[in-house]
Amino acid sequence: MKSINEIKKIANNYIVRRIVAYIFLMFLTATITFFIFRLMPGNPVEAYLRSMEQRFPQYFETRAGMELSQKYKEMFGLQGSIFHQYFCFLRNIVKGTFGPSLLTFPEPAEKLILQALPWTIGLLGISTIIAWLLGVLVGVFIGWKRESKVSTFTAWLALVVSQMPQYFLAIILVFVFAYTLYLLPGTGAFNPLLKPGFYPEFIFDVIKHATLPALSIILVTAAGWIISSRSLVITILNEDYLIFAEAKGLKPGTILRNYVMKNMLPPQITGLAISLGFIVNGAYVVEWIFNYPGIGRLMAIAVGLRDYSVMQGVMLLSIFGVLTANLIVDLILPLIDPRVRRG
Amino acid sequence: MEIVRIEDLKIYYKLIDGVAKAVDGVSIKVYPNEILGIAGESGSGKTTMVNGLVRLVKPPAYIAGGSITVNYGENGIPKEVNLLRISENEMRNLRWSFISYIPQASMNSLNPLLRVKDQMMDVIRERSNKSKEEALTLLPELLKRVNLSPQVLDMYPHELSGGMKQRTIIAMALALSPKIVIADEPTTALDVVSQLSVLSTLYDVCRKSKTSLVLITHDMAVHAQLTDRVAIMYAGKIVEVGRTADVFKSPIHPYTKGLIASIPTIENGGKRLEGISGIAPSPKNWPTGCRFHPRCPKATDKCRGAEPSMVEYEEGHFVACFHPEVKK
Ligand SMILES: Nc1ncnc2c1ncn2[C@@H]1O[C@H](COP(=O)(O)OP(=O)(O)O)[C@@H](O)[C@H]1O
Ligand SMILES: [Mg+2]
Repeated sequence: MKSINEIKKIANNYIVRRIVAYIFLMFLTATITFFIFRLMPGNPVEAYLRSMEQRFPQYFETRAGMELSQKYKEMFGLQGSIFHQYFCFLRNIVKGTFGPSLLTFPEPAEKLILQALPWTIGLLGISTIIAWLLGVLVGVFIGWKRESKVSTFTAWLALVVSQMPQYFLAIILVFVFAYTLYLLPGTGAFNPLLKPGFYPEFIFDVIKHATLPALSIILVTAAGWIISSRSLVITILNEDYLIFAEAKGLKPGTILRNYVMKNMLPPQITGLAISLGFIVNGAYVVEWIFNYPGIGRLMAIAVGLRDYSVMQGVMLLSIFGVLTANLIVDLILPLIDPRVRRG
Repeated sequence: MEIVRIEDLKIYYKLIDGVAKAVDGVSIKVYPNEILGIAGESGSGKTTMVNGLVRLVKPPAYIAGGSITVNYGENGIPKEVNLLRISENEMRNLRWSFISYIPQASMNSLNPLLRVKDQMMDVIRERSNKSKEEALTLLPELLKRVNLSPQVLDMYPHELSGGMKQRTIIAMALALSPKIVIADEPTTALDVVSQLSVLSTLYDVCRKSKTSLVLITHDMAVHAQLTDRVAIMYAGKIVEVGRTADVFKSPIHPYTKGLIASIPTIENGGKRLEGISGIAPSPKNWPTGCRFHPRCPKATDKCRGAEPSMVEYEEGHFVACFHPEVKK
């Protein structure tokens, strides 16, 4: 048997503490999500049932009518007391079901979400990583060579691009590449005449369709990473340990690698992990403009139809993404920054 | 033969509202195996001057004139270059193997994300032809010379106390056996007890390895105890320089006298006397003539009109003053 002290030690362990906090936060946000949706007026299923009951009381007084209404309430988690509903909701989350979607009734919401998710993760995951790599590389370069004219110009350009709304860039890209030059498709995720599958022609087609939406995301986010990386590098270049490294007569390459990059990467890696957590939210604007079948577009449609099951599912998924990203950051940060390490 | 000869060095700061002439015509020599002290109140240009000496003058500062001749020849065969003229590569080869630098803010001079070992290794591996094994055996020896245990090698800077950091930096500075070490206020960030022990360590290692040390501090008591020669800086210039014993026994410049008078002694009850009245002038607008004249009790019209030049009063004891008071 473990002594109390040992148990206390485990509970104090950094990793254990983080994971407990993570589970607690998930539970808390799921609870908040549930009550927000309960407090929001206009659950269409509830409203529909109520209006039917009022308009055709004769049917609902029959056994069949009551059973029907009961069945619907059960399907949409509207039956019994609010606490009963709440516990069913939590149980369903653990099981991974969110109830039937109105969009594609009686298909469950999670099926729609799972269909949209790979597109979003593919598009946004790859764009986010490319944008990060590009942004960090260019940012480090123009920070390191901050006096050169090219650097000044690039920094200025990045500032302008990073402030551009994504839709603006997206529309320009569509106009130029899709409708003027006919180089790339401006809508959809693949050619509907092709049968989806893992064969070269289809994969190539998917990449072609993803290029413009990806570009409109990459340009704006890379510009942001350029700005933050550049300013991190410039801050580090003024640090005392950099002057000291220079006084030691180290080669510029060593200083750049072991002193500048080493110190600017931890915050940027944290930033990347956090942005990756946000990708399951989808990119609402870009997916809408390019008619891309991802989570963002699904959410937009669900909101329009007041499809509560899908909305709840997407919301829980985003919270899950962000919290998980934060957990991962908390777990990897001690590995890259010794100052965060503890006993 | 001196190993460093600074001649008429001028380092200015280009500011929005003018030019700050922080170092404005400094000439001084550093000899082999000596401890040269540089004293002077804060703002007199000590840090700026040694930044020039290690060629780490960063904008808005720039070198406005003068030369720094170093002699890095071995066995009496002179090999002189002007530091301000050589290429970046040549300069890099002189750093750490000829001249090491312990900067003023050395508390933050260690890379927070590298173990002490790696920060010592990088310079040894890159700047000498020692093998990895040789370097690894050298590290504990270097630390031992500054009274640090080899365990420090595996630590990160945030795990070290202020005194330990400073000792680590001293150990690093000696890693490539330089001919000269510059230490700019190496102990100002430490408590009094660590100040003394770190200073005596620095003194010991430099003496033992026959390394010249340029020690900057505004603490005159430290100069009196540790240095062989001392130079007094005022308003971007050196106003008096000589053997420490001579300067303390018979200071000639009124400013030097004031500085020495301000050392707390047993006789005056451990109190610092206010040796010099008035406020320090601004480098953007030095006073005309002798820059000390507005604060000088002996100032005359001559002092207001013309700048005194250095005159040798006894061997190696130079002073720039129109009204020297030479005790003999
Ligand atoms: N980074 C800087 N920017 C502008 N002026 C500076 C800077 N550093 C120093 N100076 C100017 O140079 C003068 C001398 O500074 P410094 O060399 O640090 O003196 P000390 O080390 O003797 O205290 C200061 O009074 C200030 O006017
Ligand atoms: Mg200083």
